[in-house]
Amino acid sequence: MPDTKDSTNGLENRDPLFHARGLTKVYHPSGEIEVRALDGVDLDLFESELVVLLGASGSGKSTLLNILGGLDIPTDGTLDYRGESLTDADERTLTLFRRDTVGFVFQFYNLIPSLTARENVALITDIARNPMAPEEALALVGLEDRLDHFPAQLSGGEQQRVAIARAIAKRPDVLLCDEPTGALDVKTGITVLEAIARVNEDLGTLAMIITHNAAIADMAGRVIHLSAGHITEIHTNTERRPASTLVW
Amino acid sequence: MRPLDLKLLRDLRTMKGQMLAISLVMACGLTMMIMARGLIVSLETERDRYYAENRFADVFSDLVRAPNSLRSRLMEISGAGTVETRVTGHAILDIPGMDDIAEAILVSIPDERPQQLNILHILQGRLPEHAGRNEIVISKAFADAHGFRPGDTIQATMYGNREELYISGTAMSPEFVYELPPGAFVPDNKRYGVFWMNERELANAFNMDGAFNNVVMTLAPGGNVEAVKAEMDRILRPYGGQISYDRSEQASAQWVETEIEGLRAFALAFPIIFLSVAAFMTSAALTRLVRLQREQIAQLKAFGYSSTAIGIHYFKFTLAAVIAATVMGGVGGLWAGRGIVILYEPFFQFPSLTFRPDYPAVLIGLVASAGAAFLGVLNSVRQAVKLPPAEAMRPEPPAEFKPSRIEALGLQNLVSPAFRMALRNLERKPWQGLFTALGLAMATAIPIVPGAMRDGMNYMMDFQWRLAQRQDVTLGLIEPGSYASFTAMRNLPGVLHAEPFRAVSARIGHGHHERRISLSGLPQDGQLNRLLDADANQIPLPLSGVLLSEKLAEVLDVKPGGTVRLEVQEGRRPVFDIVVAGTITDFADIGAYMDIDALRRLMREGDTVSGAHLTLDSAQWAPFLASAREAPQIGAIVRTRAARESFDETMAELIVIAHTIYFGFAAVLAFGVIYNGARIALSERTRDLATLRVLGYTQREVAGVLIGELALLTLLAILPGLFIGTQLAAAILEAASTETTRFPLVLTGRTYATAVLIVLASSILSFAIVSRRIHKLDLIGVLKARE
Ligand SMILES: Nc1ncnc2c1ncn2[C@@H]1O[C@H](COP(=O)(O)OP(=O)(O)OP(=O)(O)O)[C@@H](O)[C@H]1O
Ligand SMILES: [Mg+2]
Repeated sequence: MPDTKDSTNGLENRDPLFHARGLTKVYHPSGEIEVRALDGVDLDLFESELVVLLGASGSGKSTLLNILGGLDIPTDGTLDYRGESLTDADERTLTLFRRDTVGFVFQFYNLIPSLTARENVALITDIARNPMAPEEALALVGLEDRLDHFPAQLSGGEQQRVAIARAIAKRPDVLLCDEPTGALDVKTGITVLEAIARVNEDLGTLAMIITHNAAIADMAGRVIHLSAGHITEIHTNTERRPASTLVW
Repeated sequence: MRPLDLKLLRDLRTMKGQMLAISLVMACGLTMMIMARGLIVSLETERDRYYAENRFADVFSDLVRAPNSLRSRLMEISGAGTVETRVTGHAILDIPGMDDIAEAILVSIPDERPQQLNILHILQGRLPEHAGRNEIVISKAFADAHGFRPGDTIQATMYGNREELYISGTAMSPEFVYELPPGAFVPDNKRYGVFWMNERELANAFNMDGAFNNVVMTLAPGGNVEAVKAEMDRILRPYGGQISYDRSEQASAQWVETEIEGLRAFALAFPIIFLSVAAFMTSAALTRLVRLQREQIAQLKAFGYSSTAIGIHYFKFTLAAVIAATVMGGVGGLWAGRGIVILYEPFFQFPSLTFRPDYPAVLIGLVASAGAAFLGVLNSVRQAVKLPPAEAMRPEPPAEFKPSRIEALGLQNLVSPAFRMALRNLERKPWQGLFTALGLAMATAIPIVPGAMRDGMNYMMDFQWRLAQRQDVTLGLIEPGSYASFTAMRNLPGVLHAEPFRAVSARIGHGHHERRISLSGLPQDGQLNRLLDADANQIPLPLSGVLLSEKLAEVLDVKPGGTVRLEVQEGRRPVFDIVVAGTITDFADIGAYMDIDALRRLMREGDTVSGAHLTLDSAQWAPFLASAREAPQIGAIVRTRAARESFDETMAELIVIAHTIYFGFAAVLAFGVIYNGARIALSERTRDLATLRVLGYTQREVAGVLIGELALLTLLAILPGLFIGTQLAAAILEAASTETTRFPLVLTGRTYATAVLIVLASSILSFAIVSRRIHKLDLIGVLKARE
C-alpha cells in the first residue's frame, strides 16, 4: 500500500472533502465467484484540486467514482464528505448529496434527447440551491450560440460540453467525469478538457477525471493509479500542463 | 425447447405485468361477449321451445262481451289456426297476515277438454276439477312468494262477491313469462299473481255465462298476421272489441324480447370497445418490444433465421395474450352467465332456463380479438424483419424532437423542462397518445351507464308516483257508478281527500295510426292525479279537447292543435273527433285526459264515476283496507307507492350488481391502458429517468416526469369520456324503453363524479405500481452504454 500522506504534498494541512478508508466493493455476479471491484481503498480528496484517475479496464475506476458521487454504496469501509458519512446515508440523503454537491460528466453524455441544450441545463438549475443561469453555464463551455439546439442537432463534443455545462450550472463542489473524452477525437477532447479545467480554476471545484489516456494526466495536480481495486500509486505533478497543450 | 421459444418465455416473464394488463382488458371483452351471447342463446332457445311446446298464441284480443257462438266465426277467419275463447277477470285477494293489497288476474281454461293454447306447465298438483269449490291453479312465482301449496285456500273478492278459492296446483304459462302487474315494469310476485280457473265457474263468477271477453289464436301456416288481426277486429268490433295485437305487443313476450335486444346491444358494443382497446395495447407493447430488440433481430437474421420464423416469434407474444385472455374470459363469461341466469329467475318464469354457451359466437369473438391483436402488431413486426441485418445492428438513429406546438404559443416559460419532455413525447407519437386517451375516455364513459340507469329509473318513479300521482290509493269500481258510489268511497274510514275520475277504454286514431288506451276524465283543479309538463309543473285541464301523453302524440304523429278520432268502447260507445289541446309528460303507459264533465257529456251520462283517487290517514290503513275489500262495488284497489316499493325490492340487488360489473370493467380498462402506457413510457425513457436520478432528482420527481405525460392524457380524456358516456347511456336507455315504459336520461353530478373518480383511482393505482419500478432503476448500468 503506498504512503498516501507523502504524496499529498502540503495538502495534508487542509481538511479533505472526501475521506475514504478501506473502501471495498464486492460483486457476486453469479453467486459463486466474487469480484472485488474495489479492495480497501484509502483516499483523501481536497477542495479545488484536479485529480486524474488512471487504470486498466476493469480496475475499478468507475466503481470508485460512482461511490464518491453517491451513486453507489460500498460493501465495506467508510467514506465521509466534509465529515459527514456517506456510507451510512440513506437513499434520500444520497439523492440530496448528488443534487446539491456533485456534477457528473459521463462518456455517453446522457443528455435528454427531448430537451434542448438550454433545457437540459435548466433541469439542474430548476432544482439546485444556488445555480447560475443556463445561458451562463453554456457560455462557460463556449456554447452560447447553441442554446436552442436539441442533442441530435449537436456534435459529440458539443453534446459533451452541454453535459459539462449541466454539471457545473449548480456550482458544484465536486465535478466527477468518467471518461469525458472517450467518445471524442483529440481536438474536441481538448475543448472538453479545457472546459473542465476552467471550471476547476474559476469556481474552485474539486474535479476528478477518469481516463485511459495517460497524456491527460499531465493537466492534473495529482494522478491516482488504480489496479485490480487497489491504489498502486499517487503521483503529484510538479508542473501542470494546460489542457490546450496536450497531445495524444 | 427451441431457443427462440426460450427467449419468448424469458421475454414474457419480464413483460408479465404488461401482458397481464392486456389479457385482462381482452378478457373483459370476451367475458361480456360470452356472457351476453350465452344469455341470448339461453333465453331464445328456452323461449322458442317453451312457446312452441306449450303452444303460445300468436294473436290476442280483449273485448267487452261476446256470445260463445261467435267462436265459430273466429275460427273461419282465413289464416287463423287454433282459436280459444276465454273469460278473464280480476280479483282482490285477502291474504292472512298481509296488510297490503294483493290482486290476481283470472284466466279461464276449458272445462271438458285439454287446453289447446297457452298450455299450462304444471309444477305441483293438478289442473282444476269440477268439485264445486272454485279450484284454481296459481302461478308458481306467486305461490313461492307466499308459500302457497296445493290444498291451501285463498279468500278473494271477484266481481263484488267474496269467494274461497281452492288451490289445486301451481303452474307457469308462456303467456306470463314476465308476470307484470298492469302499469308496473317489474314483477311483484307478492302483490300480483295469475290464477287459472275452469271456464264455467269463472264465467259464473263474472256474470259471463255463455260468453267470453278474451280471444287467443294461433296463425295457420302461411297465415298473414295483419290480415287476421284486421278481420278479428272487424268481427269483434260490435262486441266492444279492442284492437287485437300480436306477440310483439303482448306484454310478457315484449319484455322478454326487450331483454334479448338489450343483451344484443351489450354483446356487440362492449366487446368491441374492450377488444379494440386490447388490440391497440398489444400493438403499442409489441412495437416497443420490437424496437428494443432491433439488434437482437438483426443478429438472429445474421445467424440465418428467416423473416417468417422471426415474424412468427413475435406473433407468439400476441398469441400468449390471447390464450391467457381466452382462459380468463371463458371462465369469467361462463361464471357470469350462470350467475345472471339465476338472477333472471324472479323476473322470467321459464320452466327450465339454463345457461347455454354460444360456442360459435365465442369462436367468432376469439378470432376477432386474435385477429385484431395480430393486425395491431403486423406493422411493427414487418418493419423489424424488413431491415437488413447490417443496418439493424446499428442503433436506431436518434429521435427527432422539436419544440411542441403548444410551446410555440409562447407558454414555454410557464412549464418546467419535465413537463416539456411530456409534451414533446406526446407530439412525437400522437397516435399512441390518441389511442391511450381514447381507451381512457371509454373507461370514463362506461360507469356513466349504470348511474344514468339508476337515476333515470329513480326520476321516473319519483315523477310518476310522487309528483304526478299524489293519491295514496286509487279505487276502481266494478261497474261505473253514480255520485253515491263516489260518496261511499269518500266516506271509507281514514279517507282525507277524494277526487272522482271517469275512465273508459277507447281507440284513438290519427291518420293510419291507432292505439287502444284508457281515456280519463278528471276534475278541474284536481290535486291528486296531476298532469305535468317536463318540469313537473301541473298543466291545467282544458275545458274542451284532450291532453295526450307525449309518447302517444308521437306514435299517432299528431301535434297540439291537431285532431284525433276517439271511439269509446263502453256505454253508448260514442265516436268523435276532438282537438289535441296539449301533451303531458309521463313515463309509464300512454293515455288521454280530458275534463270529467266534458267526457260525461260525450257519454251522455250524469255524474258517473269509474273510481276515485284518495289520500289517507296512514294510521287508519288497516280499517280502510278491510272496508274497501268488503265493499261489493269496488273491483280494484291500487296503492300508489306499491310500484315504487316493489321496484326497490326487486331491483336494488340488480342495480348493485350492474354497478359492480360496470365499475369493475371500467377500472380494469383504465388500469390496463395506463399501466401499459406507463410501462412503455418507462421502457422508452429508462435512460432519461436514470439520468435524472443521477443528477439528483428524487424518486418522486422522476416518477412525476414519467407519469406527467399519462396524467395529461388522463385529464384530456375525461371530458370526451363523459360525453361518450352520456351518449352511450342515452342509447342504452333508449333501447331499454318501450312504448309503455320510457326511461328518461337523467345525469347527475354524482354519476359524472363517480366515473371520473373510478378512472382517476385506477390510474393512480397504475402509476403507483409503475412508480415502484423507478426505485429499481439501475442508475449505473444506464451510464455504461448507449441505448
Ligand atoms: N454490476 C456489476 N456486477 C458484477 N461485476 C461488476 C459490476 N459492475 C462492475 N463490475 C466489475 O467490477 C470491476 C470494476 O468495474 P469498473 O466499471 O469499476 O471498471 P473500470 O475501471 O471503470 O473499467 P473501464 O475502464 O472498462 O470502464 C470489473 O471487473 C467489473 O467486471
Ligand atoms: Mg469505467
